[in-house]
Amino acid sequence: MSNQITLSINNQSISVPAGSTIMEAAQKLGVSVPHFCWHPGLSIAGVCRFCMVKVEGMPKLQIACNTPATEGMKVDTVSAEVKDAHKWALEFHLINHPLDCPICDQAGECELQNYYMKVGKYQSQMEDEKVLKPKALDVGDTLVLDTERCILCSRCVRFEDEVTKTSTLGIFNRGDQATIGTYQGRKIKHNYSYNLADICPVGAFTAKDFRFKCRVWFLKEAKTVCPGCSTGCSVNLFQNSNQREYYRLKPRHNAEVNGHWMCDTGRTMYEHLNASTRLSAPLLNGENVTFHAALQAVSDATKSVSADKVAVVFTAQFTSEEYSAVLNSLKTTLKGTPKVFVWREETETEESFDGILFRGDRNPNTRGMTEVLKQESVGASILKGDFSALANAGAELTLVFGPEVESAYPSLAKALSRFVELKKSVYFGNTLNEVAKKFWLRIPVKTFAEKSGTFVNFNGVAQKLKANPPVYPAVKAVDEYFADLGKLAQSAV
Amino acid sequence: MPVMNSPYMGRQPSEFKILTELEGVPNSRSLDVYKEHGGYAALEKVLKGGMSPDDVINLVKASGLRGRGGAGFPTGMKWGFVPKPAGEKYLITNFDEGEPGTYKDRYIAELNAHMLIEGKIIAAYAIGASKSYIYLRGEFYDEIAWCEQAIKEAYDAGYLGDNVLGTGFKHHMDVYVGAGAYICGEETGLISSLEGKKGQPKLKPPFPAVKGYLGKPTIVNNVETLAAVPWIIRNGAEAYKKFGTEKSAGTKLFNISGPVVRPGCYELPLGYPLKRFIYEDCGGLIGGKKLKAVIPGGASAPVLTAAEIENMTMDYEAFAAAGTMLGSGAVIVIPEDVSMVHVLENLMHFFKDESCGQCTPCREGTGWLLKMSRDIVNGDGAPGDAEKIADVAGKMMGRTICTFSDAAAGPARSIPQKFAHEFLEFYKNKASAAHAQG
Amino acid sequence: MAFVNVSRDPERNFKNGYLATSLVGMGTTLVTFAKQVFGLEESNTVQWPEVEFQYSERFKGAHFLTKRPDGRVRCTACFLCATNCPAQCITIVAGESPDKGVEKYPVRFEIDILRCVFCGFCEEACPVDAIRMGPEYSMAGLAEQKWVYTKAYLLDREAVQRKVGEKQVSKKDENTKHDTVESSLPGVHAAHSGHDH
Repeated sequence: MSNQITLSINNQSISVPAGSTIMEAAQKLGVSVPHFCWHPGLSIAGVCRFCMVKVEGMPKLQIACNTPATEGMKVDTVSAEVKDAHKWALEFHLINHPLDCPICDQAGECELQNYYMKVGKYQSQMEDEKVLKPKALDVGDTLVLDTERCILCSRCVRFEDEVTKTSTLGIFNRGDQATIGTYQGRKIKHNYSYNLADICPVGAFTAKDFRFKCRVWFLKEAKTVCPGCSTGCSVNLFQNSNQREYYRLKPRHNAEVNGHWMCDTGRTMYEHLNASTRLSAPLLNGENVTFHAALQAVSDATKSVSADKVAVVFTAQFTSEEYSAVLNSLKTTLKGTPKVFVWREETETEESFDGILFRGDRNPNTRGMTEVLKQESVGASILKGDFSALANAGAELTLVFGPEVESAYPSLAKALSRFVELKKSVYFGNTLNEVAKKFWLRIPVKTFAEKSGTFVNFNGVAQKLKANPPVYPAVKAVDEYFADLGKLAQSAV
Repeated sequence: MPVMNSPYMGRQPSEFKILTELEGVPNSRSLDVYKEHGGYAALEKVLKGGMSPDDVINLVKASGLRGRGGAGFPTGMKWGFVPKPAGEKYLITNFDEGEPGTYKDRYIAELNAHMLIEGKIIAAYAIGASKSYIYLRGEFYDEIAWCEQAIKEAYDAGYLGDNVLGTGFKHHMDVYVGAGAYICGEETGLISSLEGKKGQPKLKPPFPAVKGYLGKPTIVNNVETLAAVPWIIRNGAEAYKKFGTEKSAGTKLFNISGPVVRPGCYELPLGYPLKRFIYEDCGGLIGGKKLKAVIPGGASAPVLTAAEIENMTMDYEAFAAAGTMLGSGAVIVIPEDVSMVHVLENLMHFFKDESCGQCTPCREGTGWLLKMSRDIVNGDGAPGDAEKIADVAGKMMGRTICTFSDAAAGPARSIPQKFAHEFLEFYKNKASAAHAQG
Repeated sequence: MAFVNVSRDPERNFKNGYLATSLVGMGTTLVTFAKQVFGLEESNTVQWPEVEFQYSERFKGAHFLTKRPDGRVRCTACFLCATNCPAQCITIVAGESPDKGVEKYPVRFEIDILRCVFCGFCEEACPVDAIRMGPEYSMAGLAEQKWVYTKAYLLDREAVQRKVGEKQVSKKDENTKHDTVESSLPGVHAAHSGHDH
């Protein structure tokens, strides 16, 4: 093929599409070329001058990020000359860096630190005073800017120009007085601001949400899916496993879904996971009961009613496996199909889209739920602001599967109070909530961080969740409860 | 070394007049005076004499004219890089003239800006550009006025407009005033500035000849280069090649500064002996001082010692062989009583101030070089510091987007290497130097 | 060839026998006792707690936190001591300091002294000389005593103040900060040296 070219990097041969750069070829080959300013999701700036490589036949070292790969090119990234160039490039980055790692949130995941350990010069020759710049600037509701730590890689400026098109940031002044900052009277306010903290290779931009809360080396990451909207961005969820405390989410590259980014709304998806906001025990008629007693109550209730007197209210925030388990289990025990309702937030604008990632449908698995209902040939009625269909159904047992992310349902309390009016309504939920107490039975369930399962995004991309150890070990996921219910029913027989 | 058999032995600078023809002519800036001296004849020859753009490019190629801004790239070849298909293309004149010690472009504008404008229209015809700009440094108040006046006159006389000289060739010209940054004299930095952005050089590739101003093919030429074009068209390539050496054809404006008896802007053929220029044409150093060093091509050129200029000729090749460059032709003469350590500190201050701050080695390195050289001047130096300066400068060289870091490294490497003994004096006189600085 | 023969049966040898050496040792004890009773030799025994033994200044006892010259805690809550602690006995909660020159400080700083193994790794890890192992060694107490040392206790306890005194103020220099950084720390804004021009 003429649009493929073959070059060799450190004597390893690699084929890449014509027009690729040396950096892209090296990434494909798995050869690490140190870099700061290059980011696969942004345009090429070529200003950090760190990714120097030797190209045979060129007198000077070339930057890997902007040098086009050509047929038969021979690239060297490990020779003494190249290593010396890397050392000195890093030295130039460090001479005016404040080295306040002890108070910097980036420490531990800082590319400057990592590269220092990998390719550093270790013996700095800089003996003069460093250039001082403004520190700890408030640049918006979400970020703190430390211009002294900044290495002026311009990733943030390009992100604002190219991804969000807000162009709030610029580099001001010249030479070693060059400083990153916002244009006069402007603040960073868009729904993608935390990405700036992510792409910042150093601690210049740090997230206010995470500021001083935890050192990153205490955190463990789990690859999972954001439950914030129907885009279903691939994310890493960070937990301090000693404390069983979740601290933040970061996007995980997935070309099919979210690319490199995620929105600020999605970043708050750790808040409802921690123990202080969670339901921990079942509540039957306002009294705490054991998990066994709660399930027994549900099991008993299903025995005394016929299938058409049972209503199931789903929100699209559970995994596909959970929907299947609920429907299959009920079909078996009731010997018929219950009435299924889908509860949607009344203020929701399902089709809206901000043009980058965030969608109006704030449920991560609308598509998955629809697919399961179709597969099980169950027709569902929509409850959106109007609950009369449910009220008129005359159900004697109603199972409500409430939203996991309650912030996505602003009129949650109003809707719940309608469900409470019904006879024997059971609420499956995970967040402390005054109204939920009034249900006949309230059963706590696991969050997306604790269960395995599948979310199918708006586009039909199915992604698996990763289960962390649960915050409350006795709490189970909906499919696990219904498996237990099945066992209860069997043992009764 | 073509010194001894130089064809210019015994000839006076007044014999080489291409750009400075109007020197001493009263009212030289007017269009009429320019026309009396053959002005716009070249343009008529090109447009009405049936010369194709390729003919113009080939003629300029044959003349051996090289870029006079500093790099010395063959002009005809540069024009040839522009993609042939019709489309929007731009020609920009680099009138930023920021190189310390240089005042040749201003001298051309002072004599007659029409020389530049005529050259520009011819160049625009050669590359097929319908729009061109003169990028002027903001501090050049008079030159801005002269250029604007000349453009107005050219429009009135029909040399510019939708139908130049009734031949159907369309060309418009504008003056763009920069804000006064050294880096905007760099080709791509200038384009950034012209686009309204911060004056910062752009990554290459893509090269401006392919993707420059507003993403369109762009040629950036120095004032002196373009001003020489009409003469070449009028008199032919061979006439031009009679001046200069084989590889460095033509004449060049040299600006001399420093304590010489007759400083100023001289038009000399390339290959002219440097020593003769300083001692005969410029009358030697004031008060018969001894020469210590010469910076031959503006602040960014590595320095030459008095011994090195003995047999030096002023052309691209001879300077390159000596490890320095012709640059913009700004000859800075340093007498014996000026300390090279102070010269270094002064130059480093300039480069630290003018670094655009885009690439890390240059942004951080220029500041560091200034701090180190200032430490030595202040008496805080220690043996090994001069070598450290040269070493750090060496690590900046060739590692940035533009050649600014090479420019800063030029003096920062050559001065500590060639004048190491002067640094030793500073270390020794630590206490007294600190005292003298107060 | 030089070697010590240890293969002989000790019981057959009076000099190497267990009983004999025990008697020799007892003899030494008795002689010393007698000398001290009759005042021929000074006693090494310290009459604790009436008399306090003076350990070396470098003795690594119970921790204390150092101060800045203005009396505030020197610690910047970097968590390096907590990270380095093999006993995981240090708990820190960091907060934003109102002084921009400090930026980060420990809202809570607690050492569970019952878990501590006095290895001194916290002191080693500290980049700002904020935590030191102090001269205090008598930490015995009753069960109801508070065994988790709080920040206030680590910073201002009488035993440390008495023994360490002025040295509790860390001599470590503050990093110089840009003029826009609002701070009341002494020496944070260097007198302008005319560095730029």
